[in-house]
Parts: sequence; structure tokens; C-alpha cells
Amino acid sequence: MSFSITSFFDSFKSALLYAPVTIKLTAITFVVSLLLGAVIATVRNYRVPVLSQFFAAFVTIYLGLPTMVALLLYNLLFMTFYSDVAAALHISVPISDVNPIFIGYITLIIGTTCSVSESIRGAFRGIEKVQYEAGYSIGMGKFKTLTRIIFPQMVPILLPGMQNSLIGLLKASNLVSAISVVEIMTGALLPSLMYYSYLEGYVAAALVYWMIGAAIEILAHFAEKNSGKYLKRTA
Amino acid sequence: MGNYFSAERFINVFPKVISNLSVNLHIVFWSMLLGTILAIFVAVLRIRRVPVISGLLGIYISFMRGTPLLVQMMIAFYGIPIVLGNLFLNLFGINLNRLEPVIFVEIAIILNEGAFLGEIFRGAITSVPSVQAEAGYSIGMTGAQTFYRIVLPQAFKVALPHYGVDFIGVFQNTSLVFILGVVDLLGKAKTLGAATGHSLEGYLSAAIIYISFSLFLKGVFLLIENRLNNGTAKAV
Amino acid sequence: MIELTGVKKSFGKQEVLRDVSIKVNDGEVVVILGPSGSGKTTLLRSINFLERADSGIMKFGEKEINFKTAKKKDVLYMRRHTGFVFQNYGLFAHKTVLQNVMEGLVQVQKKSKSEAQRIAEEVLDNVGMLEKKDSYPSQLSGGQQQRVGIARAVALKPDLILFDEPTSALDPELVGETLEVIKKVAKTGITMIVVTHEMSFAEDVADRVIFMDGGVVVEEGKPSEIFYKPKEERTRQFLSRIIPQDAYVI
Repeated sequence: MSFSITSFFDSFKSALLYAPVTIKLTAITFVVSLLLGAVIATVRNYRVPVLSQFFAAFVTIYLGLPTMVALLLYNLLFMTFYSDVAAALHISVPISDVNPIFIGYITLIIGTTCSVSESIRGAFRGIEKVQYEAGYSIGMGKFKTLTRIIFPQMVPILLPGMQNSLIGLLKASNLVSAISVVEIMTGALLPSLMYYSYLEGYVAAALVYWMIGAAIEILAHFAEKNSGKYLKRTA
Repeated sequence: MGNYFSAERFINVFPKVISNLSVNLHIVFWSMLLGTILAIFVAVLRIRRVPVISGLLGIYISFMRGTPLLVQMMIAFYGIPIVLGNLFLNLFGINLNRLEPVIFVEIAIILNEGAFLGEIFRGAITSVPSVQAEAGYSIGMTGAQTFYRIVLPQAFKVALPHYGVDFIGVFQNTSLVFILGVVDLLGKAKTLGAATGHSLEGYLSAAIIYISFSLFLKGVFLLIENRLNNGTAKAV
Repeated sequence: MIELTGVKKSFGKQEVLRDVSIKVNDGEVVVILGPSGSGKTTLLRSINFLERADSGIMKFGEKEINFKTAKKKDVLYMRRHTGFVFQNYGLFAHKTVLQNVMEGLVQVQKKSKSEAQRIAEEVLDNVGMLEKKDSYPSQLSGGQQQRVGIARAVALKPDLILFDEPTSALDPELVGETLEVIKKVAKTGITMIVVTHEMSFAEDVADRVIFMDGGVVVEEGKPSEIFYKPKEERTRQFLSRIIPQDAYVI
């Protein structure tokens, strides 16, 4: 049984150093995906012609593509075509100066947008038709009704799902290590290069992820408490 | 585009990649089979609130759900030989360091599924209104009869859509196993790419196979749900 | 003040309104009766475009709208000049009673918050719901919610209020209080079209009763005429099925 506490702590500290990379990647991806996903879900909810069908097909198909495959594919495409595209757009940044995390962002954003749009579509189904009609009946247009009446009521419905999506995204962000981005896991392993023992590194990485996940759960708990108080019934 | 993508290479490469689909399916089959069994135990133990064990399971579930699968696989790969190495060597004469990496991958997924499916099952079972069990007792059925004949079938209906989504998720998660040296779809695509210097066709093949098979699985589950609900399934 | 001519509406192959024409004068309270499926609710909802009629003309005050060619601004115009009371109350679930009534005043009529609050509280007081102004709909009984629904419509001072079976979803003991509030609104002289099953209410408050069946207007007239001297066989049949339970019929 050989588990070195010293190398574990070294890995842990190293992992924490790279936690901001993961957190930033996760947070920014999530916010952008929420916005894009809401747009897609709204378009599909109101059955906008052409766009609804396009998004329906795109989302259904894209959800079949695993994040890892997408990462490798986009990374390869990027490496292959960068110089051509950069020349056409008159960008003078050499490929070696482009941070690969950029590919990670794109991959994760597209994927998360698709799954988030499905959750939001589900939440739309939870709103009764009469809420739309009540908004229209007092003269509010579609946009106002959507933003002032419909969306606010979707929030408590969405919260548990969003919490799961966010934690899922946190874990998916781990995969960018496959395209040479140093995040929590690869960060934790840096000290291991000196020692040979990888186990401590991976356990340290797991711990850091676990802690961030726990923080997300606490935040979500507070969010759930403060929203949806109008849903509680009193005699 | 020219040299980057060649339809000829693609047609050449695709059959080679898809022949490794069996590796992924093998992993999915065994992991889901054993994972489901584990999950049933986990769910029942948690519902019964068995002291101590429930608490430990809670921690186990939190860990499996809160850490990335890849990290879990690595911990299994490096950790199990270290922790159980001597035990297995002395008791069974098995050298854990010589085991195929696929075994560790499956162990990680089984433990993962025990947690995720365990929660799905627990949720489904507790969602069956208690009046159902009460009705069973009221006509004289035993606890076990009530559970197996009344509660479980209803819980099964509730759990199925989520189980389907999870199943497809496991299939997609097998895209990670090449990192541990397992030669599956991606593994094959990578080795072919390294050998020929052209990876695009291989990755595209893998992508297409993943998407098609995922859609296929989705269809299968929808069919099953439809049958169960007599035509009123809704996609989760 | 509102006149509908030749209104037609089909849902798929089902013809729900087959050439309906009605006229309501300023200050009149008109009750529309009829069996389910008669089209009465569809007709009502066509007025503020919650349903889109296939054809017909609507003359509202000075404005004339053709259902077939109606544009977005016509739709908004109707919605901003009519009030609608829903069968299932239709209160904004995430807003308090006061916020529900203020919403239209602030967002649509662009009144200041303080002005809106003043008006809202006055109207809520009139329907007897001022005490509960900070409660959420989920905390209220059906009758209370409906009174708020009525307040929300009235507060916007529309030219015409449409009531879609306002008491059908209520427990019997709550129907009375809601009808009292509707009577109060009628007394203010505002034009009202009420789709309802409540015969005694119709008799008390309606200036005119319109009986619809199978997508057409079968008969119309003063309540006393319709209830006691119906001319059409269908009207008679419908009434005979409903009236026996009511004690007031002589």
C-alpha cells in the first residue's frame, strides 16, 4: 500500500492552482450556453417556421456526438485549416500562439447549448397556456409576455436540471486535457512527473472537483430556496 | 481541402473503425448489467435508511456524481493494483498489474452507474404514491409481494426514460477509454491516423458511428416506452 | 358598440362557428348561453384574438376589423381596449395579487408605479380583495382568485369586458360571492359580454340573452322572453334540461 501523503499534497496544491482555469471555462460556457439555449428553446416553443425544424434536427443529431470526439475532431480541423483561414482573414497570429482552450470553449458551448435548450424546452411545457393568454389579454405583446410572465415562472422548474447540467459541464471540462489544456487534472499531475506515482495526483484532482461540485450544490440550494416561494400553498 | 480529406480514404477507413464498435458495446453491456444490479442494492439500502450504510452510500454517491469519469478511471487503473494488488496476488495468484485496462474502465463505470442509477431508481420508487403500497397491504399482500407486484412495476415505468438517457450516456462515455489504451472506435481511429498520417477520416467515422448508434438507441428506448405506456411515451 | 357579422371558425374539419352575427350596445350586459360545443367560448375569444376567426367583420366603436386580414396592430388594439376574465382565473402565478393588477397598468398603459398602485388598490378594495394584496394566487381560494382576475380586467378601464364562464370552475359555495362582484361591475355601466351557465345571474343582470347552439345564434331577446317564452325548439330543449334544478322558475 503505497500512497504518499507528501506527493498528494503537492498534487493538491498544484490542482488548486489550475482550478481557476476549470472554473472560468465552466462558468463562461454555462452562461453563454444558457443564453443560446434559451434562444433555441424559445424559437422551437413558438414554432418559428424553418428555424424550429432546423434546430430540432441539429440538436437531436448533435446530442449523439460525445464531447471527446467533438474535441478531437474540432482540434484536428483547427490544426489543419488554421493557417488557411487565418491568411484569408488577415490574422497574423501564428498557430502556436493560439490557446487551445479556445477549441475547448467552442466544443463545450455547442454541446451545452444543445442539452440546455432541451431542458428549457421541457420547462416551457410546464407553463399553462392560460399564462400566455392572460398576458395577451391585458394587451402585452409576445416578447413582454415571454420575459415578464413566462420566463420567471420557468426558473423554479429549471433549477434542479440546471444544477445537474452545471456539474455535468464541470466534469466535461476535464476532457480538454486531451487537447493539451492544463486544467485541474493535468495540473494535479504536474508534480507527479517528478515522482512516478500518479495515483496521488488523480485523487487530488478528484478532491478538487468534488469540492467545486459541492460549492455548486450549496449555491443551487440557496437559489432554490429563494425562488418559487409563490409556489407554496398555505391553507 | 484536397489532401486533408479524401473520400477514398474515408471509405477505406470507416469499416476498420466500425469493426471496433464491438469493444465499446462490450463495455456498455457489462457495465450496465453489473451497474444496474449494484444500483438496485444501493437504491434499496438508501430507501430503507439502513444505518451507517446509507450514510456511506451517500458519500459514495456524492463522490461518483461529483468527479469526472476520466479521473475515476485513472484512480481505478492506478489505485486498484496498489490497494488490492497484494491481496489478489496472495489469494488468487492474479497479478493486477497485468490486467487488461478494459477491466478497470468497466469497474469505474460500474461504480459510476451504481451511484447514478441508484439515485434514478430511488427517485422512481419513492415517486410511487404510498397509497399504492397501502392498497396492496389492505388486501392482505405481504411487504415483498406489494413491492414486487405493485410498487416495482410502477417505478419501472417512471425510471425507464431516465434509464434510457443514462444508457446512451454510458455509450458516449466509452469515448474516453482510448486514453487508457483500450483500442475501441476512437482508439482505432487514432492508431490509423498515426499510421497513415491522416486522422480526419477516422475521427469523422467515429463521430458518425457515435451519432448513428446513439440515435438508434434513442429509438429503441422510445419504442419500449411506447409499448409500456400503450402509445403515450414522451421523450425525456 | 361592438358588432360581429358573419363570423366563421373551424378547427381542422370541425366547424365551430358557422356564420355568427351579434351586436352589443354601449353599456349593455349581454349573456351568451348554450351547450358545450356551441361555439360561445370561441366567439368570445375571437373578439380579443385569443382565437383567430377564419372570416367575418368586427366593428368595435369606430374601428372596423376584418378577421381574415387583421394585422398585429388590430389584435393589440382589441386586447388593449377589452378586458378578459378567464374561467380558470388566469392569474400570473409568480406575482402577488397587487402585482397582478398593477402589471397591465404599468407595462401596457405606462402609468407610474405609484399611480398604478393607487388604482390597483382602489379596484381591489371594490372587489373585496385589498386585504390579500400581498398574497400569491396559490394561497387563495378559487373565488378569491377570480375576484382578482376581475379586478385586473376592470383596473385597465376597458371599453368592453369579456367573461368566459367566470364561475364554472368554482366550488358552489364560492359562486355567489363572485357573481355579486360581477353584478357590481355591471352596475358601473360598462359594456359586458358574459358566457355563463348561471341562469339566475343572467336573469338578474343581463339586458339581453343570446342562445347559441351548433355554431349559430338560435335565438336572442330579453331574459324574460328567452327563459319563459322561448320561440325555438332548441332553446326550449336546452332550457328544460337546465332549469328544473333552479328554484326560481315559476
